[in-house]
Amino acid sequence: MFSRRLAPLILLLSCQSVLAQEPLTFEKHIRPIFRAHCYDCHGAEAELKGGLDLRLVRLMAKGGESGPAIVSGKSDESYLLDRIKSGEMPPGEHRVPDAQISIIQQWIQQGAKTSRPEPESIGPGLGITPEERSFWSFQPIQRPEVTDLTSLPPQARVRTAIDALILKSMPEGSAFANDADRRTLIRRVYFDLTGLPPTPEALETWEQDTANDWYERLVDELLESPHYGERWARHWLDVAGYADSEGYTNNDSERPWAWKYRDWVIRAFNEDKPFNQFVIEQIAGDELAGPQQGDLTQDQINLLTATGFLRMAADGTGSGANNAEARNQVMTDTLKIVGTSLLGLSLQCAQCHDHRYDPIPQTDYYAVRAVFEPALDWQAWKDPNGRRVSLFTKADREKSAELEAQTKPIAAERATKLAEYMQQALEKELTKYEEPLRTQLKTAYETPGNKRTAEQKSLLTKNPSINISPGNLYQYIAESKPKLAEYDKKIADIRAKKPVEEFLRALVEPANHAPETKLFYRGDHQQPKQSVAPASLLVTAPEGKRPEFAANSSDIPSTGRRLAFARWLTNGDHPLVARVIVNRLWLHHFGKGLVNTPADFGKLGVKPTHPELLDWLADEFMQQGWSVKQFHRMILRSTVWRQSADKTSGTTASFGRRKLQRLDAETIRDRMLAASGQLDRTLFGKPVAIKLDDTGQVIVNGDQRRRSLYVKVRRSQPVAMLQAFDAPVMQTNCEMRPTSTVATQSLMLMNGEFTLKQAARLADRAASEAQPCSDDRLASLPAIPKPTASQWACGYGAFNADTQKCSFSQFPFFNGNWQGGEKLPDGKLGWAFLSRTGGHTQSAEISPVRRWTVPLDGRVSIAGALHHGSPNGDGVQGRIVSSSQGLLGEWTARSGKAETSVSEFEVKAGDTIDFITDCRANHTSDSFTWTAKLTYSSGSNTVTLETDKEFQGPAESPAQIAGQIERIWQLALCRSPEPSELSLAMSFVSQQIDTFRSRGTTLPDKRTPVRQAMTNLCQALFSSNEFLYID
Amino acid sequence: MQPIFDDQHNRRAFLRQGSLGIGALAAAWMLKQDGAIAKPPNIPKEEPTYDLLPKQTHFEPTAKAMISLFQHGGPSHMDLTDPKPELSRLDGTEYGGDVAYSFVNAASKKLLGTRWKFRPHGECGTEYSELLPEISSIADDICLVRSMHTGANGHEVSIRYFHSGIPGVLGRPHYASWLLYGLGSETQNLPSYMVLTDPAGHPVDSTNNWSSGFMPPLYQGTVLRPREPRILNLEAPAHLQGAIQEQNLSFLATLNRQHAGRFSNEPDLDARIASYELAARMQTAAREALDISRETKATQELYGIHEEPTREYGTRCLIARRLVERGVRFVQLFLSGQPWDNHSSIVTSLPSACKKTDRPSAGLVRDLKQRGMLDETIVHWGGEIGRLPVTQDQGGAAKHGRDHNGQGFSIWFAGGGFKPGMAYGKTDEVGHRAVENIVTPNDYQATLFHLFGLNWKDLVFHHNGQQQMVTAGRAAKVVSDIINPRTPVSSGEDNVAAG
Repeated sequence: MFSRRLAPLILLLSCQSVLAQEPLTFEKHIRPIFRAHCYDCHGAEAELKGGLDLRLVRLMAKGGESGPAIVSGKSDESYLLDRIKSGEMPPGEHRVPDAQISIIQQWIQQGAKTSRPEPESIGPGLGITPEERSFWSFQPIQRPEVTDLTSLPPQARVRTAIDALILKSMPEGSAFANDADRRTLIRRVYFDLTGLPPTPEALETWEQDTANDWYERLVDELLESPHYGERWARHWLDVAGYADSEGYTNNDSERPWAWKYRDWVIRAFNEDKPFNQFVIEQIAGDELAGPQQGDLTQDQINLLTATGFLRMAADGTGSGANNAEARNQVMTDTLKIVGTSLLGLSLQCAQCHDHRYDPIPQTDYYAVRAVFEPALDWQAWKDPNGRRVSLFTKADREKSAELEAQTKPIAAERATKLAEYMQQALEKELTKYEEPLRTQLKTAYETPGNKRTAEQKSLLTKNPSINISPGNLYQYIAESKPKLAEYDKKIADIRAKKPVEEFLRALVEPANHAPETKLFYRGDHQQPKQSVAPASLLVTAPEGKRPEFAANSSDIPSTGRRLAFARWLTNGDHPLVARVIVNRLWLHHFGKGLVNTPADFGKLGVKPTHPELLDWLADEFMQQGWSVKQFHRMILRSTVWRQSADKTSGTTASFGRRKLQRLDAETIRDRMLAASGQLDRTLFGKPVAIKLDDTGQVIVNGDQRRRSLYVKVRRSQPVAMLQAFDAPVMQTNCEMRPTSTVATQSLMLMNGEFTLKQAARLADRAASEAQPCSDDRLASLPAIPKPTASQWACGYGAFNADTQKCSFSQFPFFNGNWQGGEKLPDGKLGWAFLSRTGGHTQSAEISPVRRWTVPLDGRVSIAGALHHGSPNGDGVQGRIVSSSQGLLGEWTARSGKAETSVSEFEVKAGDTIDFITDCRANHTSDSFTWTAKLTYSSGSNTVTLETDKEFQGPAESPAQIAGQIERIWQLALCRSPEPSELSLAMSFVSQQIDTFRSRGTTLPDKRTPVRQAMTNLCQALFSSNEFLYID
Repeated sequence: MQPIFDDQHNRRAFLRQGSLGIGALAAAWMLKQDGAIAKPPNIPKEEPTYDLLPKQTHFEPTAKAMISLFQHGGPSHMDLTDPKPELSRLDGTEYGGDVAYSFVNAASKKLLGTRWKFRPHGECGTEYSELLPEISSIADDICLVRSMHTGANGHEVSIRYFHSGIPGVLGRPHYASWLLYGLGSETQNLPSYMVLTDPAGHPVDSTNNWSSGFMPPLYQGTVLRPREPRILNLEAPAHLQGAIQEQNLSFLATLNRQHAGRFSNEPDLDARIASYELAARMQTAAREALDISRETKATQELYGIHEEPTREYGTRCLIARRLVERGVRFVQLFLSGQPWDNHSSIVTSLPSACKKTDRPSAGLVRDLKQRGMLDETIVHWGGEIGRLPVTQDQGGAAKHGRDHNGQGFSIWFAGGGFKPGMAYGKTDEVGHRAVENIVTPNDYQATLFHLFGLNWKDLVFHHNGQQQMVTAGRAAKVVSDIINPRTPVSSGEDNVAAG
């Protein structure tokens, strides 16, 4: 295909364009190439391979053992180029790309120029050049001048500085897209801030709010919603690498207390904890908390919980891998999490050698490592259990001890009782033996096992029944078992009252522990080199002004290194932290970052599309006291954010129109639960269990309907549905989620159990909530197939033996079963109900009746079975009663089955045949099934009617169906259907009802053809792009 | 740059019109490629997006598909594929060298000669044991490597080395995920990487065996389960199948088209519409691919489907062929547990493992050959380790077995560009260590990728701020001695990834 053919051409062109523009210099063009490919052996370390140093041009010209590496102006004679071109250098698999080779060649050819005179002498290592230091992300944050907003014409629709700065970047004459319409905007704000849809009622309220400040109030209200914290915590938990399991080993053991950190993050967002404080507490909460004196205070608990951040890395040291590699891996991963989440740098790349692209010397990596070493010392390691912090209070401990003491006398009583029983049993058993054997056996038995003579042992082996033990005692004295169990229960009951010991997953640095950090040659802990002191990154400070952190603070028992590090991160001058944070926030608001590599602000990352805006946001964020909620307000107030996504206005320029955002995996699941009315909005707590279903997929265990945020994150068992929609499978952490579009997602939405179940529940919900559609609207809609006039009805009544007739009243409520009301027992009709195949009785007067109305004269015979399944209760009585002939048969079923056959009899049109079931004396345990086949001949036609297949819900009128569709639309898509959509949906439902009826498909329990068609409609909406993408 | 932009505009227009009948998917892919050309894919400048659409190889491939018959547990090479007369001569004597054991409690240094006869087969004359009569009979199609080396004895450690590049490390993609990432999928109707598990249960290391690791789940192996539902979520529940689901999908497509009409420049919406079409096609295609009743009796017998104990494995081998025939890129068969892990009673346990797999494996190669598919399809047969030349003493000769051996063992290939009828590499005289032409799992990956037309070094995936490759940057080589000679290939200088 052509893509490949074009590629080299483009590379060539792009190189040439570079070449054409400016003369090549070593510092700007060559050094980065050498840095990536050569300096490991030729400059970064004291030992120079082949004696060749490539750090300065004159050293290259001088060359190494093989002579000069370059000859200025003569690329053909430059040995360096030969070696690179031939693929001999660098050794191993890496090759210098051809485009870069040609740059080196051009540079030599042009005379191997430098940008400035080279220094006389050069210190060890690569150092940082002014070129490297001048990289954009290491520059101080500079707040740009923003045009006076009031000077702009209203038609420019510049509401905020954000708008002004974006507008400035757009091509001349561009304008923003129109504001999205109010409904779209409401929906967007809900998903953005809470990850949940508005209820139809909330949507309506906000749509009809006439106040000018409705939008600001909406934003404020949602920022105050506890669900806001859940949504934004999830973003942070991604980059923090949150997991409820340890990973690293095959066991992937569970982390029972990680969730407390998750809850801390939710609370922090909900409280709008200033982000600098948020960072400091997570990095150094233990150092702030101070020593524990007596019980932990709530403040201390909170601060320690925050350090869970530093305990998110996979940790196999408590599950079979407590070795040097595994311990160092915890440190490596922790530094990676800190680096990518807060610094936006791939710090981890400098673990084995100087960073190949960014100015991060290997010593910097170990300087940061030294910050964490006292708490995560691989040579004085604590495994995850050893690091837990108990929340037991003094009172808890006392209470526990007191309760344990209460068990003592009971235990003693039990011991006495046991001894008595043992004695009794022995004596009774001994009576079976004659003297002297009897005494010999007794002595042997009573001699402790280790003091028995060989003869005694043999005696006991030969007469096994004497070997009475507490374990087999019950075989001698049957009553001993329940008696002793009574004591055990008493003890267990007392122990159950003990307070439960809870823990925190926290990082607490031991007092007075300041181990030395060594630089590891090639990252190998078995090759430690020089000591490295804790310090910040060289490049983030002006030359020669790198802050070092005190190796040991005198103010607090711990070293204080992390506290100093955290304060350095948040001191307001740090060039990276604020930019990295605001970029992440922006990314989640827009689906695209200003720097779209949010964890890499280095050379391999991308440059900001809007550098001025990034800096303005970073500065403003800090000026607003690092308030995340203020930041949200600022973004949401902007015209940029409020734009419509429709193609009818705006431009294709960056942020010149709203881009659609696909819902995150968690939000898809939560939105379905919210629509179906099933969502459990409980906040916080232990993770929701997961399990393997019988096909081997990981699913949420049972019918748990909490938000997806609370579903257990087991690294080795990602929940299939969430994983399919790109929820991270935590190895270390997730810097940014990809958005994939694959057929497995479609299959999951089409056929997956979860979607189908929620669709059914939404259909049920709509059926109970919908208002019928008005007649005039209905008139314009396609017809719904008329329900076939049913000859069957479900109700209740009583059989009157005198009149030989049944009374009959229709059940008022249908939820798949016919019954008295939404919940059982119903206030009036109690437990009585009828399902497709059976039901439950209530009383003689309220006995469920399945009634058939005969359409034409003819003859009928009946075969069936009444079944009462429970071993309890007095069973049920079934009768078949004809309105013209009276009782046709009666049967009793009690914990079993009765055949209910009626031989052929005559029927007249209009007769009713009732299947009535009464409770006999009482209705406990009176669930029954009763299905029957009626063979019905009229004229020359014979048909078989089966009671279960004839079972139906209420005949829904077209007005009701249309009303339900409207309700489904509102619940699933947060809007009412357009007339054309309603019409389309009516046609769809009608087509499905026809298909179900004509196929005679057996539908699942509680599904009628109408309800199943509505379920399918719900499922289609759940699978639709409008559901999955927010505009 | 101007001419190229023009060219791209033309391409876009051309693809939209679909002049060549290119489907929406292909069009979407090619449009995405436009972005990829402008920027090297190893440094993502855009939000990463991933797809399975066909990709250009680095050079002309000889293999288009691969079937891996993974033999869990460590087949005993000195009893099957690597004759050791010296070992037989020394049977029962103490071994003088060092041995790396796994199970020290039953370790002995008593050499254990094979109990089975070897003889040369085919024109090539490669020697095989009498335990593998069917595989022996295709000796001239086989490229046997007798010098595999993982250096580690553990099962999981070596399995992960083979599958994902580093001994013991979890969380990396299977090499088949890399193949999919680099090559895309030929079929638009079936998952391109399929795993056929044993009805008796999952293999050792379970679902890690087909993990896409740090790559998106798009590249993960799809398990074809031994019982219904064969592919998860593929079929609707019975009451929704057929006309009902067609109506559902048609209704959904209408909604989605109306929705997409409101926006411009949102390719994801079209891609998702297409993904429903694919899902629907998959239902038909998968059903058809799995229906082996369409095969002749003769073909079925070739795989041993007509009798025990080959019925089950034969069926899966045949399904594998049918999948590859339909454009599936990679199929891997797993065994339940570890039938080749003959720590004890090797006299009986080894023949039983052979009986189950010998005929189906050979049948697969024969069948591919007779259909002209072998040239483009690699068959791989082998485990993660081999076994030790010394006795694992379980008390009594009948109970003797062999312990793990990652120092030297055999695997074999057929087709797809591997040299047929050869044996490569050597272990020492007793079969403990590979000593000549040593091949590691990283070499295995590099060689496979080469046959698929890929420079493994240039196929990079950006993860965690690092460029990842299948071999994780560990030393690796294409084992050129075991592949057919070909016109020299360019070494990636014209390949986009090198930028």
